[in-house]
Amino acid sequence: MASALFSGLRYSDSLTVVGISFCTAVVCEAISWLLIYRTASYKSLKSTIDKTSKKLETMKTTDVNSASANLLKKTSKTKKIDRVETSLKESSRDLSMFKFKSGGVVALVLFMVFGLLNSLFEGKPVAKIPFVPIKLVQKMSHRGLAGDDMTDCSMAFLYLLCSISIRTNLQKFLGFSPPRGAAGAGLFPMPDPKSS
Amino acid sequence: MRERKSAKLNQQPQPQPQLQHHQNGHLSPFKLAKLLDPDASWDKDQLGDVLHWTRQVLGLFCGLIWGAIPLVGGIWFLLFAALSTGIIYAYYAIVLKVDEEEFGGHGALLQEGLFASISVFLLAWILVYSLAHF
Repeated sequence: MASALFSGLRYSDSLTVVGISFCTAVVCEAISWLLIYRTASYKSLKSTIDKTSKKLETMKTTDVNSASANLLKKTSKTKKIDRVETSLKESSRDLSMFKFKSGGVVALVLFMVFGLLNSLFEGKPVAKIPFVPIKLVQKMSHRGLAGDDMTDCSMAFLYLLCSISIRTNLQKFLGFSPPRGAAGAGLFPMPDPKSS
Repeated sequence: MRERKSAKLNQQPQPQPQLQHHQNGHLSPFKLAKLLDPDASWDKDQLGDVLHWTRQVLGLFCGLIWGAIPLVGGIWFLLFAALSTGIIYAYYAIVLKVDEEEFGGHGALLQEGLFASISVFLLAWILVYSLAHF
């Protein structure tokens, strides 16, 4: 009865895309847990980043609240903060590199799933967008579709939305999100203007 | 005002053993009460998580409603963005009365879960609209 109901829907393929995306997200997080999150290196790096972030916050708060007008003390404090910030950036970079190396398997799975979905739904609108997207988004939302109706939604766009929403929240729910202290530091950090 | 708000971070939460041992439901009344308590002390991670999940629930709810009515047009996307941001701001500034400087400023608090919530909203809006009206 359920299959009859779903087959009667014009855009029932969208549910297939969402279902496959959800399963893919679960598989990817399982692989990530196996290769990244359960390793001692990752736990150690994450713990270091958490501790360093908290230490930096405490130092900055103390520095702001300090009533001392002693220039030497302030200069020494600033240097300490800079050292801790540099240490935080290095740890964040190491974490990013570590995840990047192990993320190749996850990337392969995502690529294969995208290829599968593409072969199933190429040239076929899987949903209807309730607005006309901006030109930049249309390149993705109308990818591979015939006609000029820009409210037709391609599999690629729906898959992108599913990936972002499901994976991000799944990571958050399972506690696999990157530590907040590492948010500002990336794989390629910009030079510190204070040191120049 | 700043002294009062800063003092909130330093004060210890008052223990309420009779509520912490409450057995019914997944969330104890103690935790739920903290979500609406302007005198509660917040850790940066705790507040960030609460704001993140609040945004996701707002995105899902608005997406379902927008798709069911249905609301059609890009203006409704902008309305969601404004509504979501306004509700989050009102929550942490008026209900929780947190000092945004202690948590990285308005930008840091308002961007918690923003991108994911927009994706959740669009996904829910598109799915409900497509399945319910075609």
